[in-house]
Amino acid sequence: MIKVASRILHGLLLLAGVSVLAFTLLSVAPGNFFDELRLNPQVSPATVAALKIQYGMDRPLPVRYLRWLASVTRGDFGYSLSYHSAVAPLLMVRARNTLFLTGLATLLAWMVALPWGVLEALHRGGWVDRIGGGVTAALLAIPDVLLGLILLLLAARTGWFPTGGMVSADASNEALPERLRDIAVHLFFPVVALALGTVPVLVRHVRSAMILVLDSPFIEAAHGLGIPRWRLVYRHALPAGMNSLISLFGFSIGALLSMSLLMEVVLSWPGLGPLVLEAILARDIYVVIAAVMLSSVFLVIGNLLADVLLYWSDPRIRAV
Amino acid sequence: MAADFKTAQNPSQPIMAVRGLTLSYARRGVFNARRSSVRALRDISLEMFAGRTLALVGPSGCGKTSLARCLVLLEQPSAGEIVYKGENLIEMKREHLKSVLREIHLIFQDSATALNPRLTVEDILAEPLLIHGLGTTNEERRQRIQEVTAQVELPATWLNKRPLDLSGGQRQRVAIARSIMLQPRLLILDEALSALDLSTQGQIANLLLDLQDRHGLTYLFITHDLTMASAFASEIAVMDAGRVVRRDSPSKVFTANLHTNCETLAPDSPSRETVLAPLTPLGNDE
Repeated sequence: MIKVASRILHGLLLLAGVSVLAFTLLSVAPGNFFDELRLNPQVSPATVAALKIQYGMDRPLPVRYLRWLASVTRGDFGYSLSYHSAVAPLLMVRARNTLFLTGLATLLAWMVALPWGVLEALHRGGWVDRIGGGVTAALLAIPDVLLGLILLLLAARTGWFPTGGMVSADASNEALPERLRDIAVHLFFPVVALALGTVPVLVRHVRSAMILVLDSPFIEAAHGLGIPRWRLVYRHALPAGMNSLISLFGFSIGALLSMSLLMEVVLSWPGLGPLVLEAILARDIYVVIAAVMLSSVFLVIGNLLADVLLYWSDPRIRAV
Repeated sequence: MAADFKTAQNPSQPIMAVRGLTLSYARRGVFNARRSSVRALRDISLEMFAGRTLALVGPSGCGKTSLARCLVLLEQPSAGEIVYKGENLIEMKREHLKSVLREIHLIFQDSATALNPRLTVEDILAEPLLIHGLGTTNEERRQRIQEVTAQVELPATWLNKRPLDLSGGQRQRVAIARSIMLQPRLLILDEALSALDLSTQGQIANLLLDLQDRHGLTYLFITHDLTMASAFASEIAVMDAGRVVRRDSPSKVFTANLHTNCETLAPDSPSRETVLAPLTPLGNDE
């Protein structure tokens, strides 16, 4: 319990550091929202100056940071200059959509990668391993964007799946099963695209972790006792190889919000990706800072979860 | 389950006979193509007799461990026969082989890596019984575990410990206990004493001799320590470069000026009593 509390404290300190860095770097970066506004001939310089004062952007950096911190305590996470609203409600809807997509993709990727990696390790050097290695190498070589574009092209040409969005325009009038089917159809390509990008990395990690364990004398000793292969894998090898995989799982959780940003833009998924891209282009810094902070929170949660899982799964760690 | 698992065995017939055993490892190049092969074992022939100890000695890399791994089929030999009680293990059907391999066990040098670090000693000892369906109830299994732990002098308080909580000697006792859970006939001790300090070596060696007397176990005692080999075995086979170059009684092996490697390893040959006797009175290794 003390260890968990200590890790949470470390996480909070990390988040504080990230917030200072993100705020400072985005503030000192050349150009801001009002520079973009000045380019609009319909907005007078006096209006721009008034808006700057209204949003407190004329204040020194430390003051702006403290005001942002105050808004965090209120649950607003700053104010979006483009959307004229608090950042939190804006971000939450998009983050929920992103998590829905990436959660499913991550789950699918692990469900595929775990047996695949174990199978390759068990048949090391054999045909299964070589074919599997070829497929993962090919998937690793294809950039995510290209993969997204290929799937988009497939969707557009075949018409089997929608080319963007999360629901059809008329879905709200449908019954619940139809609405669920509509969401599933919209999810298919984005989930597959994300999972295909993640699977090869996971397979490689699972394979190497399992090979390391399968070569251990305690596995050979267990094998010598006549323990069947399936039991060797699930009772001895998998738990022993789990430590590095649990750490990797923590990173998967940490990457839930950031792994799909590009793919969401390509496949028009109404998640954080398009919102953050627009915010960066418009220099809407509070939206960007909030997105960075949210990603950092997930990273901290992922690492904490990995630590707790390691503690739970490995008696040697509990003994320390 | 009986604590004593001696069975009748014709003393003139070897319990295990190895004939013409050869093991080659393939060297592979680009696209896994076979480039060449390395012969780890060359035409090995050995016999092990019930209730006796054959020591296998030789310099590092001469193939002792490869041979041990072949005997329990952790490595598949390229040629030759491993005949156990008149049946060739290499040609055996899987189910039959499983039951035969219950009687042959390999004990590794490093007990720290040979025992699953996540399991408790009790789980480690119970697993062979579960796998082979020996002891249908928890109570039966517990009883068998108690019998075996008493034989290897494992205190009951260790049962809830994990391997890394124990010392090297304690872990080796657990490894031996696990091996005799299934009432084996042949134990292959692959440098099983090498990683231990001198007094613990003596205690484990005495324990092994005691188990041999009690159960009529056969040992293949692999070591590079000729002093221990001479104290422990009734016969010594000397290996070099994948071959058995000499096989004789300990006294003859040491007196004969036969092989440079052997001379380097064993400048003198103390008696079995000299090695084991001074070590016996020392306390437990924990």
